[in-house]
Amino acid sequence: MPAVETSPTVVKARPPRQSLVHKSVITVYRIFAIVVLYAVLAGVFAYAFVMGFYALNSTWAAPIILSSYDEKSLDFMQKLVISRQTIEDLKVDLTRQQSTLAEMTRQRAALVALDPELQTAIVRERQHDQLTGPQLAALDAQKQTDNARTRAMLVEIHQLEAQIKSDLASGLITKGDAATQLAALNQAEGAYTDSKIADVLLSDTVMDKTTIGTKALDVLEKQAELRSEIAQLDITVSVAEKQLAEDTRQVDRLRDAISTAKQSPYYLNASGSKRLYFAFVPYDNQANAKPGSAIYDCYLNMVLCRKVGTVKQVFLGEEVISHPIFKTQVRGLTILMDLSHPESAKSQTVFLGRKPLLF
Amino acid sequence: MAPILLWLIMFLCLLISVVKYLMGLILRLTFRGARIRKDYTYQPRVSVLMPCFNEGRTVYQTIESISKSSYPSESFEVIAQDDCSVDDSYEWMLKAQRDFTNIAIRVGRNEFNCGKARTVCNALEHSNAEVIISIDSDCIFHPDAIRELTACFAEPGIGSVGGRVGVSNPNDGIITAIQTMIYYSAFELYKMPENWTRSVCCISGCLYAIRRELLLELEPAIRARNWFGIPVNQGEDRFLTHQTLLRGYGTYINNDALCWTTVPNTLSVLFKQQLRWRRSIVRDFFFTMRTLPQHVWKLHPNTVLTLVLQPLGALVALLVVVTMLTSDPLAWAGPTPLVVYLGIAAVLSWAIKKYSARETLQHPLAFGAYIAWSLASTLFITPLALCTMDSADWGTRTKEQQEVAVGHAGS
Repeated sequence: MPAVETSPTVVKARPPRQSLVHKSVITVYRIFAIVVLYAVLAGVFAYAFVMGFYALNSTWAAPIILSSYDEKSLDFMQKLVISRQTIEDLKVDLTRQQSTLAEMTRQRAALVALDPELQTAIVRERQHDQLTGPQLAALDAQKQTDNARTRAMLVEIHQLEAQIKSDLASGLITKGDAATQLAALNQAEGAYTDSKIADVLLSDTVMDKTTIGTKALDVLEKQAELRSEIAQLDITVSVAEKQLAEDTRQVDRLRDAISTAKQSPYYLNASGSKRLYFAFVPYDNQANAKPGSAIYDCYLNMVLCRKVGTVKQVFLGEEVISHPIFKTQVRGLTILMDLSHPESAKSQTVFLGRKPLLF
Repeated sequence: MAPILLWLIMFLCLLISVVKYLMGLILRLTFRGARIRKDYTYQPRVSVLMPCFNEGRTVYQTIESISKSSYPSESFEVIAQDDCSVDDSYEWMLKAQRDFTNIAIRVGRNEFNCGKARTVCNALEHSNAEVIISIDSDCIFHPDAIRELTACFAEPGIGSVGGRVGVSNPNDGIITAIQTMIYYSAFELYKMPENWTRSVCCISGCLYAIRRELLLELEPAIRARNWFGIPVNQGEDRFLTHQTLLRGYGTYINNDALCWTTVPNTLSVLFKQQLRWRRSIVRDFFFTMRTLPQHVWKLHPNTVLTLVLQPLGALVALLVVVTMLTSDPLAWAGPTPLVVYLGIAAVLSWAIKKYSARETLQHPLAFGAYIAWSLASTLFITPLALCTMDSADWGTRTKEQQEVAVGHAGS
């Protein structure tokens, strides 16, 4: 078994004393360290106080300095210009559409007026045909009877021609008489042929007058085309009227939008020549954001506050910014400030309505 | 330029930390060559030096745990040295000496309170062993701890070997649960790449084995440590490890050599402990910077990077946190850090339960609170450490200090 023993108590000399240089360095170090540590402590307490203060306070507002070159302002103005340009384009379109519509209306009226005239002409012609058709048919029948009688006579004339030739050959008549008699015979045949032609033509005319022929169909087609053209014009006019109404509404809407936009801080900022001071107000502080409310600016964003102006105008459009202290997203609205101390527009926060800590 | 540099350093520190943890994991799982070749037949004579200050009954339990060591009792001794405790620690040491007669125990006492490092040196004077093991007097040791430590000295070139420090009170509260996970990940993962190159930058003073000749060589430097004439008695473990490396020896942590310590369970004690550690880190950083060419020339790049970037990271983190709190105060309060920390907690608690059942955590999600602690720690501890470098206060064991007369509680 191992021995159990107790060692003698160790006696050691204390460490040597510090040199003067070391003492000086340590003294300076300690002074420095105390200053730093108190500074750190002060910083920590101040930080904690600021955090607590802004966690509880709801009267703060964050000034915003908008420049004409501000991205939002530029974007806003660009959109405004585009809207105005759109209105101008729409106006030109509207004028053109109105002219076209008027022209189409006139054309339609002319076509519509033509239709009854055409209808009247057709009716008149039909009535005339109904009247003359049977008369011509009767005449045609009579003509055919005449022709039949003429044909019978022509047979006799052909026999007479042979008699003439025989008489000439027997020397009963002279050549001259024979020629004269033959010519007369020929004329009679020619008259018969003419009479037949006239009969055929008369038959055609009767057919035209008593039945519906291609000519009548042509007229009906023309009438259908006219009516179709009118119907198409009706549709085009209707579409054009709707488009016109829509474009007119669009112009009104754009005008309303521009009118609303002119109430925006970005428009006021970008269009005006005077420097304007805006501030973001969280919804928690909306009650204090009314025209005439006092605005206070404070040292260290909390204390020794002074009145620096009043709320001039409240813009109802929602804005979202980062909380000036916590950097979280905060929703609220924008106000226009009337500042007697313009430098307060550069403060991180101002307070509306009252001083945050009563001094 | 300055902010870019700041973020670059921060990024590098984080990157190296992440890489070290990942490498640690890979080395643990796959690369057995990273581990030291142990020779259990190598059984040199060992002196277990146990400096003690205001530990009370705990010191008795510590000696009791050593008395149960599996190492041959004739080959080791315990030298318990009291640093003028104002409580009954010395009496408990004497009682242990009387009760545990199976091992050789020497008990001594300093003439005046001089700090842990010098107390170790005082104890060393009574030792003639080949291997010296310095331990904390509030730890409980595994029976195989000494055997595991000495087996590592079989590898030539190893100067110092450390053990794995576990937490004996993991479920005392949120604070101890957090520390349990940090201790576990530090020893089981973060130190592994350093183990691979035999260049651990800081071996815990809870369980620190060193070759006798090396400690003797370092003793004058330990005794002479001072901050502009004010003796430095903190961070002796970091100092010893650093000096071991600079003298060309290897350092290693054997995770099979186990001991358990009681970690702080109140914020104030934890804060004081962390402040003491941070002072050591800062002091070590100044030393590294002062002798940087020597470090670059002699040490493994991994070691130099750790020695430089770890403290630099603490300094830069302070600036980053200040910047964050002033520019975006609630950034840390978002869900992302919480989710990340809870994810880490889930993985670590599973690993602890599987591989170190004794430290199983009842409430691992308490690790989420580490976000707040790391913020406070980064914000306050570093500046406070920088401004109290002259402090010799141990912090966690301070009772009413009074010089104890030699032999008053006597042997």
